[in-house]
Amino acid sequence: MDIFSDLVMGLSIAITPINMLYLLIGAMVGMVVGVIPGFGPSAGLAILLPVTFGMDPVGAIMMLAAIYYGSMYGGTITSILLNTPGESATVASTFDGYPLAKKGRAGPALVMQAVASFVGGTVGVLMITLLAPMFSQVSRSFGPPEYFLLACMGLLTLIVMIGSNWKLGVISALIGLALGTVGVDLETGQGRYTFGSAELIGGIYFIPIAIGLFGLGELFYAFYSGMHRVGAGSVVQYNKESRFWPTAHDFVSTRWTMVRGSLLGFVVGVIPGAGATIASLMAYSTERSLSKHPERFGTGEMAGLVAPETANNAASSGAMIPLLTLGIPGSASTAVLLAAFLMWGLRPGPLFMDQNPEMAWGLIASMYLGNMVLLLINIFAIPLFVQIIKVPYRILGPCIVVICALGTFTVHASFVELYLMFAAGIVGFFMRMYGFSPAALVLALVLGPLAEEALRQTMTISRGSFGIFLDRPASLWIIGVTIALIVLLPMMGKMGAKAAKAKNAGA
Amino acid sequence: MTKLHHSFKAGALALVAAAPLAVATPAIAQEYPDPAQTLDWTIAFGPGGGNDIMARTIVDILNTYDLYPGDISIENRAGGSGAVGWGYLFGQSGSGYGISTTSGSFVTTPLQADTPWQPADFTPVALLATDDLVLVVNGSSDIQNIDQFIEFAQSNPITIAGTGTVNVDFIVPTLFAQAAGFEFEYVSFNSMADQTTALLSQSVDAMVGNPGEILGLIDSGDLRALVYSGASTPAALDGVPTMGDVGHDIGVSMPRGLILPPDAPAEAQAFWIETMQRVVETPEWAAYIENNTLTPTVLYGDEFRTFLTRTANGFEEVLRSLGAIQ
Repeated sequence: MDIFSDLVMGLSIAITPINMLYLLIGAMVGMVVGVIPGFGPSAGLAILLPVTFGMDPVGAIMMLAAIYYGSMYGGTITSILLNTPGESATVASTFDGYPLAKKGRAGPALVMQAVASFVGGTVGVLMITLLAPMFSQVSRSFGPPEYFLLACMGLLTLIVMIGSNWKLGVISALIGLALGTVGVDLETGQGRYTFGSAELIGGIYFIPIAIGLFGLGELFYAFYSGMHRVGAGSVVQYNKESRFWPTAHDFVSTRWTMVRGSLLGFVVGVIPGAGATIASLMAYSTERSLSKHPERFGTGEMAGLVAPETANNAASSGAMIPLLTLGIPGSASTAVLLAAFLMWGLRPGPLFMDQNPEMAWGLIASMYLGNMVLLLINIFAIPLFVQIIKVPYRILGPCIVVICALGTFTVHASFVELYLMFAAGIVGFFMRMYGFSPAALVLALVLGPLAEEALRQTMTISRGSFGIFLDRPASLWIIGVTIALIVLLPMMGKMGAKAAKAKNAGA
Repeated sequence: MTKLHHSFKAGALALVAAAPLAVATPAIAQEYPDPAQTLDWTIAFGPGGGNDIMARTIVDILNTYDLYPGDISIENRAGGSGAVGWGYLFGQSGSGYGISTTSGSFVTTPLQADTPWQPADFTPVALLATDDLVLVVNGSSDIQNIDQFIEFAQSNPITIAGTGTVNVDFIVPTLFAQAAGFEFEYVSFNSMADQTTALLSQSVDAMVGNPGEILGLIDSGDLRALVYSGASTPAALDGVPTMGDVGHDIGVSMPRGLILPPDAPAEAQAFWIETMQRVVETPEWAAYIENNTLTPTVLYGDEFRTFLTRTANGFEEVLRSLGAIQ
């Protein structure tokens, strides 16, 4: 029982009063960082990193990691209450989270998101504990060919994302792909649509676009539809009479959703570069395809909230695997954690866990505790957070604009990104009005450049031969899984619908 | 190719020099620095990056040894690959109370975007270190050393990965291949993490990168270091030859130095040159160089400006001849 004794050793390190205090601070900061739209975990971590210069590395890494996974909890609160995602990984949580709140189920939705986050996070840590060596093999078999196929698989979820009007959906996705071409071309080094601006060298960052489209676009639409004239609390209702706790049905009907979301999120998280945003969007799409009632998605279906929530938390745990076992950061946030390791003079790599067992196992043990702490903080804080919706919309609206602007600006201190966010807000308003799909735009903007770069790298490596996709075992696997998904998912959906019909007919 | 590196062995001297430093104060300061003025220290990148860590290390040393009498305000002015921060310093033209650290983007950003400034516009204080690259192959490769690598590359088509194209990662292997007489396909990635994953998954034959982030993988034998582009091999890569050792010195490095605004007063420049001469002799600085596997290359004042101009021109020439910039 090596793992068990390692974990006990880790717990004994994590449960010292000072380390628990750091963990608590990290969890709280993470919640707050998550709640502020635009201001994500990587920016929060980067700003707090200098504070840890003089700290004990073990306590410091526990705190930084808690900020990282804590933000996944906080990000959903505004998604549900205001339809404004706190950060990019919780965009998918607005799809059903906000409709749930509109139906008067804000309380159960918030509790369920906390539970789903806890399940996703804990399953993720459990898998790190038991299977880290195995999954490190997964992350070391991914090269450009596999990334290209993975991006294609992600783009397939657009089919689900596009919504009822496929023409408008396709146009939305194409706008996203077009925006993704901006920036210095990775292969030739030449600027594409940068107009000489230094701030566009790195391309269009998707967070200001996501915040603009979802946060501001929704807000403008709310004002357009006259929400500022109605009284406080009449759009999203929450009062003592409405139920706070989820029903037994909420738990029972989403139990498999939680399992699927955790596994999918973790696997996507393990692959360097994919991350929580893609994991949550993929989990939402998968769940909708599998559902017996896909038509209920988007109207306040609990599974539509639980799926992305478990997935983004499991993904944030999964992203720790390449960091701990290979020293490769899988996301912007884990890249800051890597910088922290280097700053403390540590040498992340395959020998890291053997050479620094206190640090590695202390961190893993602290993640179990951190998820419990966050579940409690969330449930106690919910009555506090729902006070937001008691503020009249005419006051709340302008505040959201200011917070979105501040959050977006803080990340890169870029005025160009601030303008982009406002422009995206205006575009988002019209997209909402005419039935376009902002989700398809964001997904295409994230995955388009990834697919393009990976394909061109692959073609350079193979000297123009597509045979490379069939030569590599890992890429064959992805092709197999993709084909299976394309064939099986619609069939399963149909069978589910048939079974439901038969059940209804029988009843 | 001219030799640009002036190696400085900080380690041995540091201990001897540290003791008297604590009491010594700069003698030349008559008008500069005025303790009432706050020093406005710009970091052109976000917290946690290489530039940020270097700036904070220097400020820590200045405070520890009381090398600067006034207050120092450190500000991260990130954006546009350094264009925002160095643009801010450029706007303080004529002042002696603005200061900033440089890194690779100081040379490459003006080549990619219409910045109003060029590296040579600023008042140079000192080049303190250079970032150099290590060429590595997968640990399971049959290639054991750089001679075998060159031999293999001369008769087989090979791919080398690096980060970005308008970057030292592209220029170093290109110049090395020209000198050693082989050809390769360069595969450009977005980050060190992406290119390392590509090499571990055996998608590419080799890659170049800063040794710091991959030392763990080199220690474990997952990656094998073949050759180092700096003037001297850092302790962590003991036994790896430099490009000069194998007879193909290329003399290109990324400058980590200190600059003042354009046309800063001569007293300010002189003060900072003298101060930095003390900083590079502290044990803290030696530890910083070692932890970050940098090459301690030190040049002062106009020699630093010449270095910057030569690096920028060299980059422009190589990139233009390869069509990466117009």
